[in-house]
Amino acid sequence: MSSNLSRRDMFRLVGLGAGAVGFGGLAACAPSADGPDKDTAKSATNFSFASWSLADNASKAKIEELMSGYGSKAGITVNGVPLAYNNYLNQLTLQVRGGQFSGAAQMDIAWLAGLAALGKLRDLGDVAKDAGYTEAALTSGQVDGKQVGLPWTTAAIGLIANRDLMQKAGITTAPATIADFEAALRALKGTGAIPYAASTKVAQLKDILIWMQTFGSPLLDGDKVTVGDDPSVEAVTWYKKLYDEKLIAPDVERVDARTLFAQGKTAMYDDAIVGRDFVVKGSPDKSIADKLDPIARPVKNAGDKPRAVQWGHAVVVVEGEGANTATDFAKWLTSDEQTVLGYFKDLSLPPTTTAALASEQVKTDQFTSQFSERITATATPNPFWKYPQYAQMETAISEQVQAVLVGKTKPADAMREAGRAVQALIK
Amino acid sequence: MSTDTAHPDTTGRTPASPPAGNRPPRSLGDGAFAALLMLPALAMLAAIVVYPLVASLVTAFFEQSLVEPGRTFVGLHNITDLLGGDFWRLLRQTLVFTVGATIAPFLVGLALALALNTRIRGRATLRGLLLIPWLVPSVVVSFLWMWIFNANYGLANGALEALGLIDAPQAWLAGPGTAMTAVIVAKTWASFPWIMVMLLAGLQTVPLELHEAAETDGAGAVQRFFAVTLPHLRGIIGIVLLLELIWNFQHFDLIYVMTGGGPAGATETFATAVYETAFQGFDLGRAGALGLLWMVLLLGMVAIYVRRSEREGQL
Repeated sequence: MSSNLSRRDMFRLVGLGAGAVGFGGLAACAPSADGPDKDTAKSATNFSFASWSLADNASKAKIEELMSGYGSKAGITVNGVPLAYNNYLNQLTLQVRGGQFSGAAQMDIAWLAGLAALGKLRDLGDVAKDAGYTEAALTSGQVDGKQVGLPWTTAAIGLIANRDLMQKAGITTAPATIADFEAALRALKGTGAIPYAASTKVAQLKDILIWMQTFGSPLLDGDKVTVGDDPSVEAVTWYKKLYDEKLIAPDVERVDARTLFAQGKTAMYDDAIVGRDFVVKGSPDKSIADKLDPIARPVKNAGDKPRAVQWGHAVVVVEGEGANTATDFAKWLTSDEQTVLGYFKDLSLPPTTTAALASEQVKTDQFTSQFSERITATATPNPFWKYPQYAQMETAISEQVQAVLVGKTKPADAMREAGRAVQALIK
Repeated sequence: MSTDTAHPDTTGRTPASPPAGNRPPRSLGDGAFAALLMLPALAMLAAIVVYPLVASLVTAFFEQSLVEPGRTFVGLHNITDLLGGDFWRLLRQTLVFTVGATIAPFLVGLALALALNTRIRGRATLRGLLLIPWLVPSVVVSFLWMWIFNANYGLANGALEALGLIDAPQAWLAGPGTAMTAVIVAKTWASFPWIMVMLLAGLQTVPLELHEAAETDGAGAVQRFFAVTLPHLRGIIGIVLLLELIWNFQHFDLIYVMTGGGPAGATETFATAVYETAFQGFDLGRAGALGLLWMVLLLGMVAIYVRRSEREGQL
């Protein structure tokens, strides 16, 4: 074949190619020949669902089952967007900010203000009205009174103990005060297990905040950050003492703690109620489920109210293509009784509707009822959640606490610096 | 082709322009034609490299958040703030990682290249096997070494305890004194095969006659290495080291996955700091300033590489 093309021939070819591409592009933008814009007509359209549970082997299959279940009923495809929990917020923020994501998204209730600040979340107030959510659950999905998320599951983060290991160490009742707790940890150290797999890596060192509150720091007084006050310094000093005495271990975050707990290598760790599923599925001990014992966080002085931080997931809808169907999906996912009870059965996550919570299935689950009674009952939201800069605040405090743990700075200096950094983020 | 323009005008009037369809083709110079051909590629480069680069560098002069709309011009404030604060710590740590993660794999790669350049049994198989670490994706390498160095269930502690070298498990990645070394060890494992292959290729170009002549003159193995081998490898060693320095100066994934820049910032480099500042701290202005300073340093290294490559006739 001859290759003697003149320059003019080449330009013609380039022109033809460009024309074809341009025509193709225009054709793709043209309205569908099937009919009017389906979204406007409120009929189902494909949409995306972002979720960290999709990136986790323990929950992935269930979420995919829910997505395909809804998709087949509505005759559409729900496109899963799996993102790992530790990078979830910044990845989703980037995609939403850049207009690359629309549809439904799973959200930690701690992050709602941050994502809402982008101004692209749909107000779900009307949708939430008649769906039967409890009042507390509804509140967990609100930012400045606006319903930006539909509550999917709510509970708290608390201490979970291995009853067998505790008994081996001679601990028969849950430690009620900090002093009891320390004594229990020392007893547990003798068993060879890590007494308490507390978070010591930055990614989950936010757990220190609840200990600061336990020691008496409000964290926030009006708009004044109190991190750096005496109780917060006392809490970090105590945490450092546990670290130095090897009562807590280095190099631990939530995933490590769950693994260690599942393998029977630690007696206690902090987790949300969702932890049961990870531990049971990941443990070589077939009877581990019976050994799980949710316990109230010890208090500083006998008689104080145990502290726990609220925990929960909501589903938000990001405006854009498929948002109407995504809204319907979010409502179905979080309030359809059969769906939420199936979710509870498979992943042990408590539902958020009055009807589902009153069901026999939920009421008779011993772990859930013990967790609710001992931990969730006194749970409060973290006061920093209301700020869009919460993630930065959490990081600023965590980094300073880690610097204390590894001996790079003193608790008082670190907490003063953390308080200053957090205060600077409040505008 | 039309021949209208070949006839002179005999009317004395200014000749009318020929109809558009009959215009003769204008000749296009080679330079212009080449430029036209390059235009699509240049447009693509401008869209996906130049624009994002310039846009991100411009943010260095603004106070700008990732999650809040709008930005405020602050001049050189972000840059001066960095130079008066974290910059020097980051530079020191980046240099420690860069030099460590260049020298260590170079020495391992050189030793293995020399060994594989001899007539040892199974040489071909060994060459293939030793390339495996280089083929493993960086994130997988990171997780592998995280598991090896884990303080609570890591292989390194298990092995060292079994050998009686340590009494209690060490927190390799959680200790400020050991985390950087652990990261450099992991990077060394991932990088040495490439260096080994490059040096092996260089070694195979050393004329055998020179070795034989040196041997005849009574030179031992060490003397031959310094007098014959090394001078021949000088060019390739220079390029390999320079490329490794440039790559390590901007290395991100292994450090970020293994330590996230921690503990307490002990393994934080420019690469991880820019990411953390922009996507965890949401402070685009400060991240842009860090990126600007980092790029200036990197450009210096690239300039050395380009000059050296030109001198070696490799460009």
